[in-house]
Amino acid sequence: SLAVKILLFYVIFYGCLAGIFIGTIQVMLLTVSEFEPKYQDRVAPPGLTQIPQVQKTEISFTASDPKSFEPYVKNLEKFLKDYSADQQTENIVFQDCGDIPTDYKERGPYNDVQGQKQVCKFKREWLENCSGINDPTFGYRDGKPCILVKLNRIIGFKPKAPVNESLPPEVMAKYNPYLIPVHCTAKREDDADKIGTVEYYGMGGYPGFALQYYPYYGKLLQPRYLQPLVAVQFTNLTYDMEVRVECRAYGQNIQYSDKDRFQGRFDIKFDIKSS
Amino acid sequence: GLSSARAAEILARDGPNSLTPPKATPEIVKFLKQLVGGFSILLWIGAVFSWISFGIQLAQGAESAFDNLYLGVVLALVVILTGIFAYYQEAKSTNIMASFSKMIPQQALVIRDAEKKELPADQLVVGDVVEIKGGDRIPADIRLIFTQGCKVDNSSLTGESEPQSRSCDFTHENPLETRNIAFYSTTCVEGTATGIVINTGDRTIIGRIASLASGVGNEKTPIAIEIEHFVYLVAGVAISIGVLFFIISVSMRYKILDSIIFLIGIIVANVPEGLLATVTVSLSLTAKRMAKKNCLVKNLEAVETLGSTSIICSDKTGTLTQNRMTVAHLWFDNQIYSADTSEDQTTQPFDQSSPSWTALSKIVTLCNRAEFRPGQENLPIMKRVVVGDASETALLKFAEVILGDVMNIRARNKKVAEIPFNSTNKFQLSIHETDDPNDKRFLLVMKGAPERILERCSTIMINGKEEPLDSEKAEAFQTAYMELGGMGERVLGFCHLYLPENEFPDTYPFDTDSMNFPTSNLCFVGLLSMIDPPRSTVPDAVSKCRSAGIKVIMVTGDHPITAKAIAKSVGIISATSETVEDIAKRLNIPVEQVNRREATAAVVNGMELKDMSLQQLDEILCNHSEIVFARTSPQQKLIIVEGCQRQGAVVAVTGDGVNDSPALKKADIGIAMGIAGSDAAKNAADMVLLDDNFASIVTGVEEGRLIFDNLKKTIAYTLTKNIAELCPFLIYIIASIPMPIGTITILFIDLGTDIIPSVALAYEKAESDIMNRRPRNKRKDRLVNEQLAVYSYLQIGIMQSVGAFVTYFTVYAEQGFLPSTLLGVRVDWENNAINDFEDSYGQEWTKYQRTYLQWTGYTAFFVSITIQQVADLIIRKTRRNSIFQQGLFRNKVIWVGIFSQIGIALILTYGLGHVTALNFTPLRFQYWFVAVPFAILIWVYDEVRKLFIRRYPGSWWDKNMYY
Repeated sequence: SLAVKILLFYVIFYGCLAGIFIGTIQVMLLTVSEFEPKYQDRVAPPGLTQIPQVQKTEISFTASDPKSFEPYVKNLEKFLKDYSADQQTENIVFQDCGDIPTDYKERGPYNDVQGQKQVCKFKREWLENCSGINDPTFGYRDGKPCILVKLNRIIGFKPKAPVNESLPPEVMAKYNPYLIPVHCTAKREDDADKIGTVEYYGMGGYPGFALQYYPYYGKLLQPRYLQPLVAVQFTNLTYDMEVRVECRAYGQNIQYSDKDRFQGRFDIKFDIKSS
Repeated sequence: GLSSARAAEILARDGPNSLTPPKATPEIVKFLKQLVGGFSILLWIGAVFSWISFGIQLAQGAESAFDNLYLGVVLALVVILTGIFAYYQEAKSTNIMASFSKMIPQQALVIRDAEKKELPADQLVVGDVVEIKGGDRIPADIRLIFTQGCKVDNSSLTGESEPQSRSCDFTHENPLETRNIAFYSTTCVEGTATGIVINTGDRTIIGRIASLASGVGNEKTPIAIEIEHFVYLVAGVAISIGVLFFIISVSMRYKILDSIIFLIGIIVANVPEGLLATVTVSLSLTAKRMAKKNCLVKNLEAVETLGSTSIICSDKTGTLTQNRMTVAHLWFDNQIYSADTSEDQTTQPFDQSSPSWTALSKIVTLCNRAEFRPGQENLPIMKRVVVGDASETALLKFAEVILGDVMNIRARNKKVAEIPFNSTNKFQLSIHETDDPNDKRFLLVMKGAPERILERCSTIMINGKEEPLDSEKAEAFQTAYMELGGMGERVLGFCHLYLPENEFPDTYPFDTDSMNFPTSNLCFVGLLSMIDPPRSTVPDAVSKCRSAGIKVIMVTGDHPITAKAIAKSVGIISATSETVEDIAKRLNIPVEQVNRREATAAVVNGMELKDMSLQQLDEILCNHSEIVFARTSPQQKLIIVEGCQRQGAVVAVTGDGVNDSPALKKADIGIAMGIAGSDAAKNAADMVLLDDNFASIVTGVEEGRLIFDNLKKTIAYTLTKNIAELCPFLIYIIASIPMPIGTITILFIDLGTDIIPSVALAYEKAESDIMNRRPRNKRKDRLVNEQLAVYSYLQIGIMQSVGAFVTYFTVYAEQGFLPSTLLGVRVDWENNAINDFEDSYGQEWTKYQRTYLQWTGYTAFFVSITIQQVADLIIRKTRRNSIFQQGLFRNKVIWVGIFSQIGIALILTYGLGHVTALNFTPLRFQYWFVAVPFAILIWVYDEVRKLFIRRYPGSWWDKNMYY
């Protein structure tokens, strides 16, 4: 009966502890809003990421071998599914925000008093050669791979367009006061000539993220939010060698860090084999 | 003597005349032992695993490979640093002893090349002729060829405290008994002698005993056994949980490499890295405290051994007694008077009005050859150094205390003739002029063995008047003599005679050879009896031992009657208990008919002991609670110690002589005398009593018991947070949440915030009178028992984990990861390629942002453990009493511990929060308080536990919750 007593004691003891644990967690959750996190100091400034993401940040394939680039294509296709025109038909949810960059679209407070918030449409056609509409392999079969660039979603974050003086000349050319431009260069200067021509496709032909897509109101208020994309196509990459490319987004409140190599920029390795 | 050349030859053959020191372990071996002892093996395994996984990951080209390299290095560093620390501590306590063994190089007066030369004693060889005078140490075993009043003190060898006279005569087959051999390391007390060296170095009698001592194995100390038990327990837990979760993680399809890394984490979390160092520090703090109370501890672990002691075998002379003869009783005017025998007497309270006392005091003063060394006028009388034998010294001091300035009295009563004491006469006599200018008579004074003195007397002084010594008065004398002798005291008789002026005029030529003066028909004045009285602190100390359940056994070379008297006066034999002989005497029946069980006390003679079988000895040790061994040889001491150990007792033995060293070594704790002790005894002992006082042993016992209790608290405190460190790993493996705490962070708790608080517990005062309970049973009362482990691991530890997890979930939730999102995310969370990891709100996180959040989680977890450890520290102050009974602020060091703990945590989070390698990040201030309710809960819960323990002693709660 001593064993029973002790067993009973531990059942009660751990029962109480579990109750206290769940209770405190519940109380804690009450203090946390469902719509926006209490703190964002760890997630901002935003990261910049690319599609396709298949293991590591490396794209390696043979143009003549469809199997070798199949994972990338599938990944792109899957990602772009939400961007298809037939997914953006409901006008209650989707708002046409035009095709030239304009200012932020504020949609009121971060709660559901007014119900869900609308989101801006993002037309897949804007991505042209990288939209997968005409070329289902996104240029991979021609050895001209596309990648999609996106700025990580952060609730309430309003990226600020860059100040013109600070920009490299190539980016200056894309300057628009309501645009966060994206630009890709060789990671190492030696590789500059190996990258070849780089094409940018974005909203209305602008190579960047338009400000009317911001701020983001969160999963609960904008469950079908489409973050703006920039497609980058490398049309003349040198084959049979590793080429490292770095893409950056430019904005006053977009920063780069030595510790976090995906903050406001990313680098990706191409290795296209000729046979 | 020998020629120098011949001596050099023999020296080359026999080696120097010195004892080979006990073989010392090479320093490097000692150090390496520290590196593999205790938990070190586990940590080495952890380090090796870290390096292996580093190698594998490096080969696979993983970016995080170097984390494991660093972890391995850190683990190795931890082992090496704690090893160095332990080694340093040990070396420090050994060094204390080194100062003891440093002997002043001894010189010997040798005849070489027919010349007297001073040589270092270790250059002596067999055949050398050496000269010795009073005060010298005998430089080797020598056979005497010429002596003049030579007396040697063999106490360090045979335990006999009386100096023994030496001559050239061969008197006994046994070298120890014969008179013409003086032994190495004994001292010549008086006289001079010349002898031939017959044995040197290790071949001397002392050398043989010393090698016997080194043959006696050193037993493991009780605390070493306890710590070993504890290490096994914790290592067992660590290994079984580690292996269990290794299997679980492998069967959950984690990669082997990951599983190995989990294993390292589990080991590191389970091993209290800082604990053994803490234990060492606590022990050395106690050792320091004991040193202040005159117990110098040679071996740190012996600190606790003294606390678990259940039998003390104590010497009499010097330890229980003051080691000096003192006048204890007087008999004059047909009445016995008691004298004050305390250490610092300044007056004597007995009635000194009788004229008989005046006469007696005159004899005591004049018939005495002892003198104070000059230049000691400012010292208390009892502390002054005297030239003379023990009895005369006692009488001199006694007279000085009562009469003042004895030397002046002697000068006024000029001595005209003297016969010193010798063993045939058994009396001492001197003749003096009187200090009364009108009285031209000479005064003859005499003292000696009472019956011999009485024989020479025809009258006896009663109240200052001479009365004839009739049979009635002689009877009274006999009774007094027997009574004083029965108290174990050495009795001296005193008589005098005023020589008639007409027969012995001023110019009378006294001749001591022809004895041309009367030596009979004297006037008997009185008796004085002397004893080596017990130290005044001893009776109290003995009664403390008694209430502490410690049996005190007296082992002495002295006479049984004296031994018994001292034993009675200090309480080793209590007032009401009787020996078999006492019962026989009381009932007036033969000794054989007495029921031995009725006698609680026993006085065992060494001669009886010699003929006893082991069973008989065991029976005596078992059946009698109060035992005195008298007339024992030091060799028998070893037998007695072994007998006590057969009873399962932890035995402390005191000793001072060289031949005590085997017993000192054999004992669980050997205690050598600092003043009277020989170097060999000090070397063999674990502890040295600086003041040779038995009472110091008792304070040592108290400290030893306290440290045992406090180590329990320290260990309980330290073990608790191991669960809070372990749970994160287990939940991480099972629920695949982001890692709640890092391995490095764990090390910062174990070796950072927790160290000072756990040492602070060593300063905790005892909860109740620890000297009122029995010594711990070394088989049952473990340092770390099941209750302690269960309560720390399964109750407080789990509560801490809950508190820390609440903080962890709070930090993540407030940053965007609600608890439900965290479950099962591990693989993606840790994937370097995923830089748009979605949280509960749809935000996307890069890998580094996640990692940084993870470190914030580590810091929050760390802070929560620290905060709850403050509560843990406070509750560990007591095991049974309420904290409020104990006093929250009485132990100031605890507060130092608490502030240091929080201070270190603040520095780590805010000061070093930007050093990437340490995995700390600055933390929002409010997170410091998330665990506070849990800390309070721990405190309240523990108060309730203690309340129930106090309320319901013996209940299942008491049995399972009291550690």
